[in-house]
Amino acid sequence: MSTQIKLQSSDNVEIAVDRDVAERSILIKNMMEDLGDGIMAEAIPIPNVNEPVLRKVIEWCVQHRSDPPSSADEDTDSRKKTTDIDEWDQKFMQVDQEMLFEIILAANYLDIKPLLDVGCKTVANMIKGKSPEEIRKTFNIQNDFTPEEEDQIRRENEWAEDR
Amino acid sequence: MSNFKKVAVTGGPPRQDVLAPLRMTQIVGSKPVLPAEILSTILDYVTVSDLIHFAQVSRRMKEMVYDDSRWVLRLRLMGCWNETEARKRAEATRRQRGSCHGLPREQQAERTGIGVNGDNNNPAFGSRKPRNDNQTIFDAGWEQIDVAVDSHQRSLAGSTEGFSAVQRSPNATTNPLSTYKRQDPLCRLDIFSQVQSLRGQARQEYGKIHGSLNPCYVDAIMCRDHTTAMVFRIYRDPNHQARMLANLARFAESDLAQGWQERQEKVQNLSDTFETAVAREFEQALETADVDGKQRRYAEVLVALNGGQKGVQIFTSNSPIVARKDELGDPLDCLRLGPTGSFSSQESQRFFTRLAEGFNEQIALIDRIFPASTKAAVTFLERVGKEVFADYLSTLLDETHRTGLEPYLEAVSGTYHQSLYMAKALRPSKDTGDDFYESVDRIIARAFEPHIDLYLSEEYSFFKRKSEAEVAEWERQLSEQDASMQSLYMSNVNRQADKRDFLTSFKKVVMMPVNVLPTFPLSSPFGGKSATAKALVNGENLQTASSQMSTRPATPSMINGTNLGTSRSATPMPEPPTTELSAKAAIMSSRLEGIRSLFSIEVALNLVHTAKAGIERAAVFYRAQSQFGEDARKQCQLIFVLLLQILGNRHIKAGFDQAVDHLAKYNPKEIQNHGHTEVRPLVTFLELVNVGDLIQQMLDVFYEQEMVASRLTDRNDFLDPAVKEKKKFEQMLDERVAAGLNKGIEVLMAEVEFVCATTQKAEDFNPDGAGATSADVMDIGPSETARKVVDIVSSHTRMLVGSTEKNLLDVFNQEVGLRTFTALCKHLKRQRISVAGSIKLISDMNHYFTYIQTLKNQNLLEYFIALRELAQIYLVDPSDAKELATIIADGDRFHGIFRAEEVYEFAERRADWYQIRAKVERAMYGIGCVVM
Repeated sequence: MSTQIKLQSSDNVEIAVDRDVAERSILIKNMMEDLGDGIMAEAIPIPNVNEPVLRKVIEWCVQHRSDPPSSADEDTDSRKKTTDIDEWDQKFMQVDQEMLFEIILAANYLDIKPLLDVGCKTVANMIKGKSPEEIRKTFNIQNDFTPEEEDQIRRENEWAEDR
Repeated sequence: MSNFKKVAVTGGPPRQDVLAPLRMTQIVGSKPVLPAEILSTILDYVTVSDLIHFAQVSRRMKEMVYDDSRWVLRLRLMGCWNETEARKRAEATRRQRGSCHGLPREQQAERTGIGVNGDNNNPAFGSRKPRNDNQTIFDAGWEQIDVAVDSHQRSLAGSTEGFSAVQRSPNATTNPLSTYKRQDPLCRLDIFSQVQSLRGQARQEYGKIHGSLNPCYVDAIMCRDHTTAMVFRIYRDPNHQARMLANLARFAESDLAQGWQERQEKVQNLSDTFETAVAREFEQALETADVDGKQRRYAEVLVALNGGQKGVQIFTSNSPIVARKDELGDPLDCLRLGPTGSFSSQESQRFFTRLAEGFNEQIALIDRIFPASTKAAVTFLERVGKEVFADYLSTLLDETHRTGLEPYLEAVSGTYHQSLYMAKALRPSKDTGDDFYESVDRIIARAFEPHIDLYLSEEYSFFKRKSEAEVAEWERQLSEQDASMQSLYMSNVNRQADKRDFLTSFKKVVMMPVNVLPTFPLSSPFGGKSATAKALVNGENLQTASSQMSTRPATPSMINGTNLGTSRSATPMPEPPTTELSAKAAIMSSRLEGIRSLFSIEVALNLVHTAKAGIERAAVFYRAQSQFGEDARKQCQLIFVLLLQILGNRHIKAGFDQAVDHLAKYNPKEIQNHGHTEVRPLVTFLELVNVGDLIQQMLDVFYEQEMVASRLTDRNDFLDPAVKEKKKFEQMLDERVAAGLNKGIEVLMAEVEFVCATTQKAEDFNPDGAGATSADVMDIGPSETARKVVDIVSSHTRMLVGSTEKNLLDVFNQEVGLRTFTALCKHLKRQRISVAGSIKLISDMNHYFTYIQTLKNQNLLEYFIALRELAQIYLVDPSDAKELATIIADGDRFHGIFRAEEVYEFAERRADWYQIRAKVERAMYGIGCVVM
């Protein structure tokens, strides 16, 4: 179990991790399966992820190395399975927004579904109770509505205003 | 990822280069922007109000938020999305629109509904917020179709919110308020029924629900004290409160944002508290007997809240037959009140009747209190089945099992039968149809399940033990007496008639059900007879009856001393036998007294009855078509097989073997007294054949009635163990009979020869030689010997008629005839016959012939014709030696049965042979020469 493999970040830093930790990433896991053990001698390049992000992701993977494999996640119909973020993850996610997005992107790329979920939930929490303008700021999105359109959407969805 | 795979699979570059393409990849641009699919995932975790804020961020975000599937999912979670309805509507819309619009436009419209419509008739929107876009698409279509319609009218319609498209959604017209938030609180109660499954409009539909329920929902979550909850403030009627709470619980299902568990829990708590309160009210109402008022009202509230199972539960636990089940009857009464060590079915019957009555009463109440949707009747039934019925049953059965085997067997089968009747007596509630009886059956089956295996195996071993004991007991008694002490045989009994008579009564009894339940009012047409049937089954009466008849005299002297007829009349009969069959059996066995020391029809009867009792008991389970049917059927077959084995191998076979043994030991010369015309062991044996046949027929009747008629076994299934065993049994019987007959023929012939040798006087055929008697004194009838021989043979062959198979009988007769013929020939060659004596001989031969004629066997007859012809040679006058020679040489005369040489040998037995020999020979060979 403790065989180590090396990962190479986009900025060419090699990081050694235990294999089971690395295999939290479905991408790496599949790659190992496809390419066989021989690949372990070399560093696997992770071209989309830079060193700090990769380290952060690995940190998460180490923490969650013994989690049960994500159960049949193909229950798209009832997304009710979503549970709240646990304490460790909450702390883990206390990073600046840029890093948070990088982590989400890396998790997406590396196919680490639980991490992606945690990231998304964190972002969802960021949106909570924000006005559209604040959201725009947060996500760096340009407002492309005309004021009329904006007004119309608001009226159209008046029912959703519970305050 | 797929890129990696491709590289690996094509495997072109050497291994070191596998990752080369990756290394060369350069990611340009490092500013993190979340791609759409991730944003979409994020939106899954966001509350509805945040979602709407998000929609206001930008067009792209709006598109993402407005995505129909997102809202359909929520509707589906609340259980108000009907896929077929949606498809139908979409279809209808497409058809309608397809005629005037191009498909692309429709798609475009659907995708970005608001954009299209917004451009088209923006002004019309102001007043009708939630549901306008799709309707306006439709409206737009409408515009094009109805060009003729006055545009002024149309715009009027639009501005007064009554525009034409609403015919598609009638609910919208009934509730023209633009925001559901402001609607009448009572309307909110049925909000779910107002929701439609419309593609492209799921968000608006969801909006309806959200608008009307969210305030209450938020309040329910926020409120600290249950009493201050908005639900209870707005609605005063408990029924409305219940409905609102049910709505909230349903609405909570669609809450996907983080923390939904806590929110759902809170709503649940609120409704639990409410439920408890209502349940308390309901419980109190139950005590007041105000069935149609309070009880019904609170039941309705509970139903509105969450289907009313709580109410049903309370009702069930409080119902008298569950709460006070002890009053229905104590299972142990069945054992206590009857005679000790036996199971009293009346007690259990009483219990079942009371249970059924109580149950029906409660069902009537349920019908009045609970609406059909609760399935209260079934719940109630299951509870009663589990707590009352099954409890009673297991206590009863466990106790009886401890008490004894037979009561246990009776109890299992009896109670099962009774419960089936009870099931029929139960009245289903008005709203449950076949369901009800199915669940009754299921419950009964479940209650019996734990007992059934034990029961079936006990039934089998009980029968085995009992029948083995029976046979062993009989054998023991037999060995106490001297087995060789043979007894009477009755020549004057008309066997076939008796047997038929016996079998008829046997058949009658077999057809009678064993475990008739006397107490069930609707139970059985055999009510009157059941007691006797039962008695019979147990075999007790039978036994007592027969022992009263003293069919088993204790001393041999009595056997020898009493003639059967007198024995029967002299037998004291303190009580007449209780049933026809036992009487018949007694008579039969007294008639067959002679062979009872070999095997006993009584034993067979007892065994059959024990088997019948067991099979009938087990068959109750089979007939009920329950899940145990197959097991029960197998067990019945096993019992039947066992019956055949014990009866066949242990009882009958042993008897036959012994009889054959006796036959083999028979030696006529050793017997002093030859006063009778029968050979005792052979007679015994033939009687045995009769009894064996009787038993076999009995089993056959039994098989037909019990096994085939009740479909426990299939006659045509040759692999069926019962059928196989029956065949085996019959085969065994046939074999024994055949072996015995073989021996019997030998014995018979020995007797015939013995009679011939000892009784034939020399002067019979040669009166001249003795010289004492003159011709005129001589009578012309057959000789004493001939009469005796015919008597012996015929009496024995007659005994087989009707008891053995026709073929077997023919073979036997033929064999007997042929052997008699040989014996006679041999006998003849030992005599010296004069011309005068030949008259006697001829009449002897005629006597034999007449007897053989009665056997109706043409082949055999030929021999005796020849024999009769042969006797003629002695009649020829010595002077006609030539004639004699012709007769001797004439083979046709004897139908080829005697050759000339043989006839010659017989001719040698003429008293005057030496005088005529030369002449005869001359004539014979002279003629012979001519012929040659």
